Amino acid sequence: MRNKLELKEGASLPEIKRIITQQKINQYAEASRDFNPIHIDEEFARKTPLGGTIAHGMLVLAYISQVMTAAFGRQWLSDGRLNVRFKAPARPGDSLTAGGRICRVERSAGQTLVNCEVFCRNQNGEAVIIGEATVRVGEDENSS
Amino acid sequence: MPRVEYHQLEVGYEFPPSRYQVTPQTVAAYLEAVDEPGALYRDSDLVPPLAVGVLAMAALSDSLSFPQGAIHVSQEFEFLATVSTKDTLTSHARVSRKQDRGKLRLLTIDLSVLTEEGREVLTGKTSFILPEPR
Repeated sequence: MRNKLELKEGASLPEIKRIITQQKINQYAEASRDFNPIHIDEEFARKTPLGGTIAHGMLVLAYISQVMTAAFGRQWLSDGRLNVRFKAPARPGDSLTAGGRICRVERSAGQTLVNCEVFCRNQNGEAVIIGEATVRVGEDENSS
Repeated sequence: MPRVEYHQLEVGYEFPPSRYQVTPQTVAAYLEAVDEPGALYRDSDLVPPLAVGVLAMAALSDSLSFPQGAIHVSQEFEFLATVSTKDTLTSHARVSRKQDRGKLRLLTIDLSVLTEEGREVLTGKTSFILPEPR
């Protein structure tokens, strides 16, 4: 199940927007069992070079995975690859936009390999995450 | 389970495998925490692929004593098959890179997650920068 997306180079993936709050970070810490104080202990985080708490990288990365799921559906779950770098922290109050663009489409033997650049940016346009994602889609998916 | 300390790690070190089941409650908590509205997971037992990686990392944290303030700098994942809440998973983790250069301490751990039937469902590579020892 996915949004209809024309598989051509340059096509944009559906963007999603999320707002980071400390409550959201704490909720993610519980769900992921990642209680690193840099995320949840404001006093600890204030004394580090980061100067305050930051969102878990995997929380922000989940937004990129949601973009890929919206674009490619179940294929992303069973034949997807992700390679990203965390470029800047996402902080409470940040408004994030995750999205991407198809860079390369390779068709062979009834299957299509779609390579995308993916990103997550903050409200100032700064890259929080950049990287690439690749997904293999079958003929049925490709024709929809 | 005793936790291994960062200074005890060497390239090639393999953490004890960790076996766990992904429950519907775990998935529901994850979906809510990441604001995942996807219809794909509604009324299905599918597990978001990133949740599989997150659970593998949580299992790793049970056997690794990480310095406070470690920062995640890069991440690779390959999703090889769908995972459902009926699956029991085993995650394996191995140190593939450890660099101590002056103030910079970088650690990379390779992950692999398999079903009980031995089907590999996820591989990954996670890298952290670690704070200076106090």
